[in-house]
Amino acid sequence: MGRYILRRSLLGVATLLLVMFVLHLLTTFAIQVNGNPALAFFGERVPTDAQLAAVEQRFGLDDPCYDQAGNPCLGPFVERLGAYAQGDFGTNLRGREVTDIVATAAPNTLKLFLVVTIVWFLLGMGLGTVAAKWRGRSADHGIRLTSVLIDAFPIFVLLLVYRYVFAVPLNAWATETFGAESLPALLFRPSFDDDHPWATLLVPGILLGLAGSAAFIRLVRASQLESYTGDHVRTARSRGLTERHVVAHHVVRNSAVPVVTAVGLTFTEALAGAVITEGMMNIYGMGGVLWEAVRGADVALVLGIVTILAAVTVVVMLVVDIAYAALDPRIRYA
Amino acid sequence: MIPVTETLTPPTDARRTAGDVLLEVEDLAVEFRSDDGAVRAVDGLGYRVEAGRTLALVGESGCGKSVSSLAVMGLLPPTARVVRGSARYRGTDLLALSPTKHRAHCGTHVAMVFQDALAALNPVHTVGYQLAESLRARTGTSRREARRRAVELLDLVKVPNAAQRVDEYPHQFSGGMRQRVMIASALALDPDVLIADEPTTALDVTVQAQVLRLLAEIQAERQMGLVLITHDLGVVAGVADDVTVMYAGRAVEHAPVRDLYAAPAHPYTRALLRSVPRLDAVDDHAGGRLPVVPGRPPVPGRVPSGCSFHPRCDLAQDVCRTDEPSLDDVGPGRSSACHFAAELLGGARA
Amino acid sequence: MPEPTAATATPDAPPVDASVSFGGDVWRRLRRRPDVLVSAAVVVFFAVMAAFPLLFTSTDPQRCVIGDSKTRPQGFGEPHPLGTDVHGCDMLAQLVHGARPSLLLAFVVVGASVVIGVVLGLLAGYYLGWVDTVVSRTIEVFLVVPLLLAALLLLSLFRKVSVGSGAFDVILLPALVLTLFGWMGYARYVRASTLEAKNLDYVTAARALGASDLRIMVRHVLPNAIGPVTALVPTAIAGVISAEAVLAFLGIGVRPPAISWGIMITNGAEWVTGGYPYLLLFPLGCLILTVLALVVLGDALRDALDPRLR
Repeated sequence: MGRYILRRSLLGVATLLLVMFVLHLLTTFAIQVNGNPALAFFGERVPTDAQLAAVEQRFGLDDPCYDQAGNPCLGPFVERLGAYAQGDFGTNLRGREVTDIVATAAPNTLKLFLVVTIVWFLLGMGLGTVAAKWRGRSADHGIRLTSVLIDAFPIFVLLLVYRYVFAVPLNAWATETFGAESLPALLFRPSFDDDHPWATLLVPGILLGLAGSAAFIRLVRASQLESYTGDHVRTARSRGLTERHVVAHHVVRNSAVPVVTAVGLTFTEALAGAVITEGMMNIYGMGGVLWEAVRGADVALVLGIVTILAAVTVVVMLVVDIAYAALDPRIRYA
Repeated sequence: MIPVTETLTPPTDARRTAGDVLLEVEDLAVEFRSDDGAVRAVDGLGYRVEAGRTLALVGESGCGKSVSSLAVMGLLPPTARVVRGSARYRGTDLLALSPTKHRAHCGTHVAMVFQDALAALNPVHTVGYQLAESLRARTGTSRREARRRAVELLDLVKVPNAAQRVDEYPHQFSGGMRQRVMIASALALDPDVLIADEPTTALDVTVQAQVLRLLAEIQAERQMGLVLITHDLGVVAGVADDVTVMYAGRAVEHAPVRDLYAAPAHPYTRALLRSVPRLDAVDDHAGGRLPVVPGRPPVPGRVPSGCSFHPRCDLAQDVCRTDEPSLDDVGPGRSSACHFAAELLGGARA
Repeated sequence: MPEPTAATATPDAPPVDASVSFGGDVWRRLRRRPDVLVSAAVVVFFAVMAAFPLLFTSTDPQRCVIGDSKTRPQGFGEPHPLGTDVHGCDMLAQLVHGARPSLLLAFVVVGASVVIGVVLGLLAGYYLGWVDTVVSRTIEVFLVVPLLLAALLLLSLFRKVSVGSGAFDVILLPALVLTLFGWMGYARYVRASTLEAKNLDYVTAARALGASDLRIMVRHVLPNAIGPVTALVPTAIAGVISAEAVLAFLGIGVRPPAISWGIMITNGAEWVTGGYPYLLLFPLGCLILTVLALVVLGDALRDALDPRLR
């Protein structure tokens, strides 16, 4: 097991470096295709000379390699890695450190994810249990169909409809009826409020959680069915063990594996969903910052945040892999 | 803290004397709920298990032999239920008990070995954990002591290197070894009756023989009652003392093994025996094709009227279509459910 | 081990070519479901709209008269059946012409991703060795980067890069990026399938008979792997259509002055509370309809191909 962890960690580091490299290659290419390298960072804006110079210097864009399309620019890559190692992820257009921005924004994203996880859990346990209990009947089919539709329904559309069609009128009504600082008004507020983070995060979190819940409903249903019909569960019962013991040690324990896998699989999607959610609902989280950066063509900030988020994903995948091996011995000895 | 169950039953100390009736199943009927209504998988099965004797429950797939054992153990899936009958363990009808009390008898009094050891063992727990599980959970044995017992059990079933292998996982064992582990786990609490459901079907022929021999040895040593469920008549001959032949959810013949092989009292049994390939076949079929029974076993729920075997029977007469024969005595320790059992026994060949 | 039942005579089933009956079986199962038929009709409708916009409208979406702006839907038969937008461009014309970039992008991206993924998966699973190492590593690396993030980053950088204005040009950049980060799932699936199929007896037999690698891959391995991959396609197409809308919202999707549903949605969103909800609801409705139809198809396809339900 220890060897497995070591192996996976090394692989993880290698993957991280490769990911950085791929991102670097792609951004380098984009910059080269843009003609004047530094201008790529400003989109449609016209930068001042000072801003241009700052970007050039920060990203080493005066290196001649940026003038040749196809040059992998290894020198600047290594320099950039060095900067990352020191915690320097660049600045936004106004000179504020990316790491600083992230430090302020990340807690809000974490709060959002917490709401999302609770929604996943509740929906998963609730609907999954019902579906398993009424397996094959219309309730089961209905739940499955609904979860398929929800799964595919773009979160973007959901949020769009909520924000533009429902939130504004609901918020207006709540403000009129209960006052601007009341709970209902805050709940339906189409944007984030720092003073009331949880209230304004609740509805976006619920929507995002709803969108990704299909996998968890399926999982809970499958693990419950296991307990009704699984062979090894039957063996455990045949040993005369109490139902409580069987459920704990044979049903729940075994279903931990698919849950962890699901977390691994849905993480990237959840991250993308969070970006959209935070963006559409004006939440000051990692995703929201990224969203605004793209809209405002603040490429340096986009680059910094995407790099950080990619690194976070690698780490999460690594943790998931290790947890997976810890829970399922068949993986370790593969 | 090892939780102590409220129906704590210590391993039985009662020595089993040969001839004790340990388990008696009477008129068992089990129904499955399906989209087409209720389907009878077992309809009137009875057998008796005595200490020190092996009963073979023989029949094709779908005849209800596994289902009947699951009913005895209280392990039926939620879609099935027992509609009538009893299963008495030393006089106590298990089927009349509450699920919790019924469960308490599992492992200590009646235990089961399943067919597919790879699926039946939990892949995420070590073999040692699964062997020791019932000891620790039901008798409060300490972890160290339970582990020692687990190694002992592995030794009992002749798994080499028991002390190392006890910490390994099921997928690290070969098929035959896994089946031994299955058997060991069933024996953990020293049950009186062991039901082995097709224990060797998934194994190679040579390994089959070893596992069966092992079962026979353990049974003899402990004077357990052994119920061997199988479709393979070749296996039965070497291991069983008595045989009950099942067809379409019912027992159609019961006899001591030698009597059954020498002179079957039911056309189905006769057909089964005839279709077992033999190297020394001396009848007129020698060198020709294996005799076949025309048709297929009935689907549960669509059992023919009267005698359920009549569409495929070469002795069938009108009475077979209308009257279901009851399982009547046809000799010492023998019974058969056929209107023409006497003729068969008398040697009349149809 | 085969079950040696009492030898029963069963009439010999006529030998059937497995792959033909499988495909026919799937088709039959799909044909019977009403939801599949409706969804397929919807998808075909919009596909035809994308391919032949002139069948649906003769108004030029680019011909915008400011004086006519924000007219409400007038009903069919009138010059502006679905109204006009903020600039005075005809809504129906925009919807019809806007279908093309959205759908074209989706089909191109998914088509290219499938091809790349299948090829790489086959090669990796078949040859193993260093080919497999390279492909598997690549899959992992690309898998780590969430599609949306990569799209956001790269398309931001490509903002100033100009391309032409033909049908393919306007979707070129998003297509490239979405394909680049969209092939991994298929590759992984096909690779696993190839690994399984490689060890099957009939493949060994084919090899013993001297069949070339290519032939084995195409005729023996591919048919098995391709079925379940097909089940993923409709849902993937739906995903790209949605993704286009997101990209358009951020200004990095299809290039104006080309029009797409995503752009229409973006423009229309602000006007809902202003009293012109139709500006958002028409393109959004089309998007939702198409996405849902595709999802239902994908789900039905997955069910039809599920061996356990056969």
